[in-house]
Order: sequence, then structure tokens, then C-alpha cells
Amino acid sequence: MERIRREAESPRGAAVIAAPRLHLSKADRRNLRVAAPFILPWVVGFLAFTLYPIVYSLYLSFNSYSGFGNATPVGFANYQHLTSDPLFWKSLWNTLYYTGLAVPIGLVIAIVLALAMNQKVREVAIYRAAIYLPSILPLFALTFIFIVLLNPRFGFVNYLISLVGGPTINWLGDPKWTRFSVVLLAQLGAGGPALIFLAALRAVPGELYESAALDGAGALRRFQHITLPLITPVILYDLIYGTILGVQIFTPAFILVGGTSGGAAYTAGPDNSLLFYVFYLYKQAFQYSDMGIASAMAWILFIISVVLSVVIMRWSRYWVHYEVS
Amino acid sequence: MSLLSWRGWKASLVFVSVLLAACGGGNTSTAAPLAGCNSGTTLATFWTSHTPPDSDSLKHIVDAFNKQSTATCVKLVQVPGSETDIAKLTTAVRSGTGPDVYMLDRFTVAERAAAGVLEDLSQYGAASLAGSYVDFAWAEANFKGKPYALPFDTDTRALYYRKDLLQAAGVTDLSALDPANGPPTIDQVRTMANKVNHKTGGAYDIVGFIPYLNQGWHYTWGFVYGGSFFDKSSCKVTPNDPKIVQAYTDMFTNWDKALGVDAVQTFVSSYNPPNQPTQQDPFLTGHLGFVISGDWVLGQIATYAPNLKYGVTYIPVPKKGDQPATWAGGWSDVIPKNAKNAKGGYEFMKYIAGEPGQRVYTKETQHTPTIKSLQSDSSLFPGDHQFFIKQLSAAHSRPPLPVGAFYWDQLSTAQDAAVRNTMAPQAALDAAATATNAKLQPFCPLA
Amino acid sequence: MTVAQEEAARLAVPRRRPGRRWGRFFNKTVPESLGPRLILIVMCALFLLPFWSMATAAFKTTEELSTFPPTFFPLGLEWANFTRAVNYIPFGTFFLNSVILTTGIALGAAISNPLIAYGFSRINWPGRDVLFGIVMATIFIPFPVLIVALFDIFAKLGWINTFLPMIVPAFFGNPFFIFLMRQFFRGLPGEISEAARIDGANEFQTFLYVILPLARPAVAVVVIFAAVAAWGEFLAPLLYLQDEAKYPLSIGLQFYRQEHAVSYNLLMAASTLIVLPVVALFIAFQRFFIEGVTVGSVKG
Repeated sequence: MERIRREAESPRGAAVIAAPRLHLSKADRRNLRVAAPFILPWVVGFLAFTLYPIVYSLYLSFNSYSGFGNATPVGFANYQHLTSDPLFWKSLWNTLYYTGLAVPIGLVIAIVLALAMNQKVREVAIYRAAIYLPSILPLFALTFIFIVLLNPRFGFVNYLISLVGGPTINWLGDPKWTRFSVVLLAQLGAGGPALIFLAALRAVPGELYESAALDGAGALRRFQHITLPLITPVILYDLIYGTILGVQIFTPAFILVGGTSGGAAYTAGPDNSLLFYVFYLYKQAFQYSDMGIASAMAWILFIISVVLSVVIMRWSRYWVHYEVS
Repeated sequence: MSLLSWRGWKASLVFVSVLLAACGGGNTSTAAPLAGCNSGTTLATFWTSHTPPDSDSLKHIVDAFNKQSTATCVKLVQVPGSETDIAKLTTAVRSGTGPDVYMLDRFTVAERAAAGVLEDLSQYGAASLAGSYVDFAWAEANFKGKPYALPFDTDTRALYYRKDLLQAAGVTDLSALDPANGPPTIDQVRTMANKVNHKTGGAYDIVGFIPYLNQGWHYTWGFVYGGSFFDKSSCKVTPNDPKIVQAYTDMFTNWDKALGVDAVQTFVSSYNPPNQPTQQDPFLTGHLGFVISGDWVLGQIATYAPNLKYGVTYIPVPKKGDQPATWAGGWSDVIPKNAKNAKGGYEFMKYIAGEPGQRVYTKETQHTPTIKSLQSDSSLFPGDHQFFIKQLSAAHSRPPLPVGAFYWDQLSTAQDAAVRNTMAPQAALDAAATATNAKLQPFCPLA
Repeated sequence: MTVAQEEAARLAVPRRRPGRRWGRFFNKTVPESLGPRLILIVMCALFLLPFWSMATAAFKTTEELSTFPPTFFPLGLEWANFTRAVNYIPFGTFFLNSVILTTGIALGAAISNPLIAYGFSRINWPGRDVLFGIVMATIFIPFPVLIVALFDIFAKLGWINTFLPMIVPAFFGNPFFIFLMRQFFRGLPGEISEAARIDGANEFQTFLYVILPLARPAVAVVVIFAAVAAWGEFLAPLLYLQDEAKYPLSIGLQFYRQEHAVSYNLLMAASTLIVLPVVALFIAFQRFFIEGVTVGSVKG
């Protein structure tokens, strides 16, 4: 407002004020011109690799298209077929089951790790490295490693469990455990969030703890009333980011099942328990040559992602404390 | 220290070389023939998802073809895939990098033709070959009255059993397993198989019979129980035919329950995991007493376990006096769309799917040919292979539907649910029916 | 202290009588760091268990692989597994392809993201923040929504079975890296740009000769993260590459497993070789990784 008033008092300003809403001053236009070449790569990439594909896939979802020949419009038929396909619901359930477990567990693990690393432990750099390193290793390699690790007879995990008298778990062959195996695999990525939480913890001024301790607050109370509220923004970021990534899970499922070939893989994992949503999408698109249905599935996933994010954001209003500085 | 320093130049160089490398991944089928080709030949690529020992035999056929052809030289490429998965083929074809010939499971020809993936072979004169192939195989290779494939091999299924494991388990009377006495009953096989079961440390290391391993598919038991999978008049699939439901209940759900669902699954995961090499097959290595499989196992036995003490008989039937049943499958050769050398591909197809190729394949892998003249040549079927050939005339075949692969996967899903007892067979098969019929509808009525 | 922090501090203090200080002295008899250390050691052991499994399996002979119970230490070091893994599997080809892909993608990230982020931070133009909001919002778009259409686009361009579909988009920016670079640029004082302007430099020259040199650590972070992500790319190569000769390590190893029997010790030897470059990169540039992870995610 201030700027507009000052400009209005200049000779040029009067003409500008007379112009309609989109008030671009000469400085603005110059800045726009200067900035354009910098952001141009993003704009072009966005239009070509993001916007156009999104619109095109929406269009495809209302067509029947095998990838060959022409696309024939079928209205909502693709969406209807999906709702009557038990495998669609199964794949959705598998993915939500995985996300619903992996994200909260990952959150807790990351916070616990961060809390532990925040204490006065001199060799913290070693732990930090050991915990962070797995999170940057390629997921496909970790999946291969897990196949050996979780072998029911010869893998270390079952051996260790048997040493404490536990049962033999068929991690990758029992539908009750397959998805959980992928949840476990995902936890190897807790290192990144743990470091972010650690940074957040370190940002909390020490005086807060000291004054609370002086007044007799125990460790648990200090955590509950100082630490936790102040890291809630990071928790929110982790929840949303984890959820968005979680529903897109693909690589471990593909590798564990043995790809889309091989005699035993007509079902994706035992009882189709590893048929994650994006895996089924891939099968529809490239195995059954049904691009229309695959596009419909993709859009449903998009909507679910957005809805979940909005729900989490809304819910966060009750427990996130933002900095008011 | 700006971007235009030596670091910048180095980056530009890397950039340019990366770009060149990225673009350099051009066409796979250039016009230059391979080493070992006759001069003046044009290259044709042939893709198959077969693995050894079958793919080895295909190599021999390709080599033999290349020696005698003056127009075409074929390059064999092994690609990932399966009976119902041709993802690699479809993506390749859509991007113009597909092969000239592809080995496709014959019962999916209709489905792939309907999707527009395959070339109509009438333009090459394939229709004239109709008479040389057995009827059911030729029918599968056609869609809407036009040939889209040349049949390659076929096969039938039977019950294999390990004489040594049975004897060691104290089963002395094997007369029920003598084909001369007709098919054994399921109960007879069950009694014998249960004697073979053996556990070590609480887990199975030998199991007598797991009905759904190898070729004990839904189709197998469905046909044995006399069920029908497709009703032509209503253009609907019928996986929930009561006889098929009964087969699922008996051979999948109840059989696994009797052995212990988790125990069996652990055994299967340990001894029959996905991507397992043939020589570790549990029947060949002595961990399985009975198995339903096809005639090609004879070839595998010859290669990997030549001294195996085994026997072959009909697949067991529910009641004494029931007619034995089996089904014939097999593969075919097709020309996908956008093939660069379709003519050369067809020349090769006529060879491999014709008498020369099928003769070699039958001899080396013990599959069954689809060329009528070869089927009556008994010199090709030594020993136990005769048994499989005799079954051929009465063998069922899977309905060639435009949703064949999808239907197979739905049946497999229901089978898996029944085996693990996560869903009652009736409900599982009803769901399969609904989903498949929804996809089938747009294609009705079928030609 | 901020309002929120004051609130938190107030809530943390229960209403106690002043003077009860003995609680603090009691805590000091047990070393404060024992609990955390124990947790850290256990968690690290759990995190490193998979790699111990990998390393031991890589050194075991095929017979020792199937001994029950499994041995925690291999009986002998079967170095031959590594040579066999590299020969039996076309490891060299896959490795080279991975290197080409990673280099291309990292290069694209290094060039495009600072450029774009500069436009979103060091220049004030109308609609900037709204558009930046859109940039961030694209994070919410799941990649599967794009794959069917992208495949068609690349097919029509004739780019299928080349590395282009993966490398070219890297030259057009990535929301995370744009965010990271933007955070860094915003932290640079405006006076530097002013000084450059006074010296007569245009915006691009300011970017190239003044701002960018200062941003080398941030660019290094972007390059490192882009490279690490590219090394593990799976779905994109799966969609776009056809020839086995062009496969990177990720899908190459998986498809080789599907078509040929790959014994677990060879697979683990190969996995070790795949993991080692990333470990080496981490050890060499640990500081960049750690700082990069936390940049911009926490204020102050």
C-alpha cells in the first residue's frame, strides 16, 4: 500500500493507478524479464514432463487404450472395473497397510535415535555415520541383502530369533509377514530423518531444559513439554513426506516377487500380499496392456495422496507448535 | 574460480560425452548381420523367455537355420517374461525396438492379437499352413478367423513319482500307479504320499505330494474334476463351475490343511523359491515324492538326473472309474507389430515352427510337436514319452480368450487364496468370474 | 526466546515447592550417557546386521551358504566369489551404465538447480512466491501418474532404449534441490549482489561470478544427493531400457537373476561391489551429506 501511494504521487504513478488490477511497475517488469531465463528450465520441464503428462493421463483414464492403435473413449468404465476388481482393493490395502506401519514406526525410530545422539556421547559421530549410511544405499541392493537376511532357514534374523526361543518366521513366504518385511526394510532409511530431528533437537535452547530441571521437572516431563512441542513441525514434515513416498512403494515389491516373470510369480507374492498399488499399476500398463486402467489407477493414487496430506495437515493443527518470532 | 575455469571445460566435456553415450543407445536391429552369418543376409531378431535347457535347444535350431538361409540371419535373445507376462515385448514394440519374431504362449495369442500387438500372418500366406498342424493348436493360433501365430510345441501333463522314495517309505504295492490299470484315485495317491512325508526339526524336508506345484494348476484339477472354464453361448467365463470349486476345495484348501498350511509354505519357500534353477527342482533332488508335470521333464531328467528311478502315470482322479484328464498347452511363434524385418522373421518362423525346427526341439527337450506328420513318427518319442503322446488325442485345451492372460492370473490368485485358506474357494472363484467377465464383455460375441 | 518456547518452558514446570534440589544430585550418580549409549549401540547393531549378513555371505562358499545353523563368520574367505560375480554376471557393463547415468543426472542437477533457485531467491519479481509454491506442490505428484504418459512421449521422440529419458529431465530442475539451493542463496547477504550491480555486472554475471562460487558447498550437496539417488534408480530404467547391454546395476542384476540362477553368495558379492562406491563417497564427503540433510529443514 505504501509503495502504491508513493508512486501515485508521481507523474507516472497516476497513469499506472488508472490501469486495471495487474499492476506491474517498470521495476517489476524488468525483474520478471531478468528472472525469466533463470527459471525457464523449470517452467519448460514442468510443462513438458509434469503438466502435460498429468493432463494426458487424466484423458487416458477415460479411454480404453492398449498402447497400440487408437484410444477409444469409455467414460467411467475404467474406474468401475477397478472397483469390481478384488486385486485393486487388495493392492490398495497392501500399500496402505505398509504405509500405515512404516511411517509411524520410522518416525518413532528416528526420534529415539535423535534423542540418543543428542546426549553427551563423545563418539556420536560413529553412531551417526553407522545409522545414516544405510539410508543412502540403493534400495534395490538393500532388497537383495534382505532376501538373504530373511531366508527362513539360512538367514541371520531367524537364527537370532531361534536363539531366544522364538518361532521360525517365513518372512518372504508367509502372507502374514511379507508386507512387514518391507516395513522392516524401510526402516533402514531412518537415518536421514534421524539427522533432521537431531538438528531440530539441537536448535532447542539449552536454557529451557536447565530452568525446567532446576524446577524439578524429570526427563520425561522435559521431553513431553519442551522437546516434543518444539519438534512438531519436523514431525509433520516427516509424516507428510513419508506418507507421500510410502504410497508409491514399488522397487522392493518388484524384486522380492521376482519381477513379472518366473513360474511362481503369477501372484505377486504369497496371496498377492506383495501386490503393492504401483506394482499393480505397472502390471496393468505393461503386462495386460491396459493403459486406460493404469491411468485411472494413477489418478486415484494422486487423489489419495492429496487427501492423506490434507488430512494430516488438518490434524496437525491440534498438535503442531509453530515458531512465532 | 568461475564456472568457465578448467572445471567448467571438464564439465562440458563430460556433458558432451554423456550426451553422446545417451543418444548412442540407438537401434538394436541394424541391417548388419552377425558373425557366423552367411554373407548377404539381413538380420532378424528372435526373442524368447525360455530358459535352459529349452533355450539351448532353440539356439541349436537358430544355428541350423542360419547355416542354410541365404536371405536371413537370426539372432536369438533371451528376455524376461513368462506365459502371461510380455511386458518387455509390449514396451519394446511400442517404442519401435521390438523383435521380428517372439515366442508367445499359444493360448494368449487371441488376447495379444486383440490388443493389437501382433501382425496378421495372412499377408505372408500363413493360412495355407493350416492343414499341417493339429486342429486344436491351429485354432488357438487364430483370432477372428485370421492366423496370428504358427504353433510350435505342445505338451501334456501326467503324474510323475519317485520309485526310490516310495520304496524307502515302505510303499511296496505300486500297482495303482501302473498306467495299464487306468488312473489312480486321489485317495490312493494320498495314502502313498503321506507315508513319504518326512520332517526334520519340525519342518518338512520331504513331502509326498503337493497337488498345486509345478503343473498342478487350477486348469489341471478343474479339467480332472470335469469342470468347464468358459461358456461359449453366454460368452462368460465360469471359474465358479461347481466342479471347479470342488477341485479347489479338495486339492488346494483341504490338502494344504491336512499337511499344515504354514509348514507346507515354509517347505515351498525353502525348496521351490522363485527363479530357482532347474537342477535344484525338489522332485529331481529327492524332496518331493509325486509331482504333476509335463513331458519336458523327461528331457530335464535326462540332462540333470539320468539315473533317476521314476515312473509316470495318469493324473489321479476323484473316483475309481473316472476318465483320466489332462490338458495340452504349448507355445507358438508370432511377429509383433513394428517388426523391422518381418519377412525375414516369417522365413525363420516357417523353419522353426515347421518340420525341421520341431523335429530338433522334440528330440532335445521331449516336448511334443504340433505338426501332424511328426506326431505319428514314433521314433521321436522314446520310452515314457509315448505315454504323453497317447494322451494327446483326449487332452483338453485352455479357452483362447482375448483376456486369457488376465483370466489365468485371476485363477491363480484364487488358487493362492484357497491354498493358504485365506478365502473360501467359492468366494474366490466368484470374484475371479466377476473381474474377468467385466474385461471380457467388450469383446463379446467372440468370432 | 520465542513465544512458543516460553510457553513450552512454562508448561514443563510442575508446580513444586522451591528448594527440592536433591533430585538433580541423584541423577548424577548414574552416568548420564549410559542409557543413550546402550540404545545407540543396539540400534547400530541392528542397522549394521544386514550388511554383516551381506559381507559374510559374499565370502562363503556355496556349500557353507546352506549349512544349518548359519555361520556368523565365514569359515574361509572365498575371494573367488567376487571375481566370479564380475565374470558370470555382466557386472562391468551394468557398472559402466550406472556410471554414465549417474554422471549425466548429477551434471544436470548441478547445472539446472542453482540456476533456477537463483531466479527464485535473488531476484524479486511478481508472482515469484506463488510459482515457488507450485514448484513445491509438485512434490505431491506421485511419479506413477506420469509414467504412462511419459512413456508415450518418449516413445514418440524415439528415446526409448536410450539414457535420455532419465538424463534430460535432470536438466530441468528438481523441487528438493531447488529448495535446498534457494535456502542457501537466501542466506547470502544482499549487499554482495548490490556490489556486483554497482560494478556493472548483469544478473547472469552476478550469478556466475559472484554468487555461484560462494555456493560451492551447496552445489556439492546437490551433486552428491543427485548422484546417490541416480545410483539407485530402478523404475525409470525398468520402463525405458530394453537392451540388457544398456541396463544399469539396479535392473541388470534383477533381470539376470530372473533369467539365470544367481547363487546368493555371488549376489551378495555383487551387492557389496554396488554398495562400496556409495560408502566411499560417504566417507570422503561425510560433512556434505550431514549438512545437506539438515539444510533448510530447521530454522535457526
